[in-house]
Amino acid sequence: MSFSAGVKGAVLVTGAASGIGFHTTQMLLGEGYRVVACDLAPGRLAEIDNPALHFDALDVRDRAALKASVAGAEARGHAIEGLVACAGIITRTPFLELDEETFDRHLDINLKGAFLACQAVLSPMRRQGRGSIVLFSSTIARSGSIKGGHYAASKGGVLGLARSLALETAREGVRVNVVSPGVTDTPMPRGHASDEEVYAKAAKVPLGRIGQPEDMAQAVLFLLSDDSSYVTGQDLRVSGGAGLF
Amino acid sequence: MKTVLITGGASGIGLATARRLARTMRVVIVDRDGARANEAARALNAEGASAFAYAADVTKSDEVAAMMAQAARDAGPIHAIFCNAGVSIKQPVHKMSEADWDIMIKTHVKGVFLCAKAVLPQMCERRDGVIVSTGSDYSVCGKADGAAYAAAKTAIYSLTKSLALEFAPYGIRCNSVGPGPIETPMLLAGRTEEEWAPLRAARAERVPMGRLGRPEEVAAVVDFLISDRSSYITGQIIHPNGAQISW
Repeated sequence: MSFSAGVKGAVLVTGAASGIGFHTTQMLLGEGYRVVACDLAPGRLAEIDNPALHFDALDVRDRAALKASVAGAEARGHAIEGLVACAGIITRTPFLELDEETFDRHLDINLKGAFLACQAVLSPMRRQGRGSIVLFSSTIARSGSIKGGHYAASKGGVLGLARSLALETAREGVRVNVVSPGVTDTPMPRGHASDEEVYAKAAKVPLGRIGQPEDMAQAVLFLLSDDSSYVTGQDLRVSGGAGLF
Repeated sequence: MKTVLITGGASGIGLATARRLARTMRVVIVDRDGARANEAARALNAEGASAFAYAADVTKSDEVAAMMAQAARDAGPIHAIFCNAGVSIKQPVHKMSEADWDIMIKTHVKGVFLCAKAVLPQMCERRDGVIVSTGSDYSVCGKADGAAYAAAKTAIYSLTKSLALEFAPYGIRCNSVGPGPIETPMLLAGRTEEEWAPLRAARAERVPMGRLGRPEEVAAVVDFLISDRSSYITGQIIHPNGAQISW
């Protein structure tokens, strides 16, 4: 019998300095979790004064840095029991204008970054016999997106990675699930759309609003907690009813 | 205190959910077996909960409508409904009688339709409400010797998705929980513990997680879907299933 209890220990969050990662970090701290927040730079994390927060500057493409972050937490006496992999990028490019570098960059950060983070946390989780991993995909993984083939491919890859890892670790007390947001009120869509354009997307959402980062953070909290002790290998679409399949 | 109504609430997943939600909500237990519903409500009330019990067959529109009206009078406006009543009849398709097929489809699919129809007017009026239906892993995949079950559960999820779209403008969310193998009276199918013991290990072995789920683990997912923690989630299915299928 394997135990898949909820996470009580430290949670490593990638992409923690902004958007969903930042709000998830805030909510985790509010719930009493210890957080190892990783991002290229501290960004909004500088606003938080909480001894349970530790920041590591790193790029998720850097396997050694991820491993060092996990080892550092262990050295401080905080074994990593949760991973929330939020780090990601999006650009919009028509398919025939998509250059190899843009394609590789999306796959490297969005998919390989999640893979490397999983590898980094898996050893301690296996040793402890407990852990919960939450990866971020997107509703676009299933729906596809015009000018977003590279992004959709990277996020579809995350689904395949999560399901496979879930099967591989199911008997070791480590659960692996996915949160797939729809359009969310974060800096990310502002890279290619104005405020007005971002909010206008609410018209296509059945619940009539775009997502808030807190909506995603609540889903993460559920997937880290005991409430989801028999949930693994699943994709939780937090999209206000958009993109039902 | 908000009110939740649970069909098939006197046993298995329904009863576990009633117990869980009774911590924070007024609970209305509906079951075909009125005596068992009463017993379940009495036990919860003895622990300080606020529980009500009604007998109703979810396949009968007059019974459902009357029960819903009475429940709203006794327990207050119904904030959430967990459409969970179900039966299990397993037969290869060529051996399945028409009567058994009808029981499966009526109890599951028509049951959700009738309960949703009876409760939605008051939810629309208040522009507040949550519907959770019990789907299954077989809402999204097939099942040998279980065609009727899979057809019924897939239909429940389709119905739920459609309700989600239709009632989103009213702020009403509709989702399914899709359990995998959960150790309930339905899974035991009348077997004694002695008969079940050797089968349990074999069934658990087929689950990637290596164990069967507990009704409480489904109840925790239903609690999440009913709560404001899932306020941006609608039209979805969450599978507490030990990775039996990924969706």
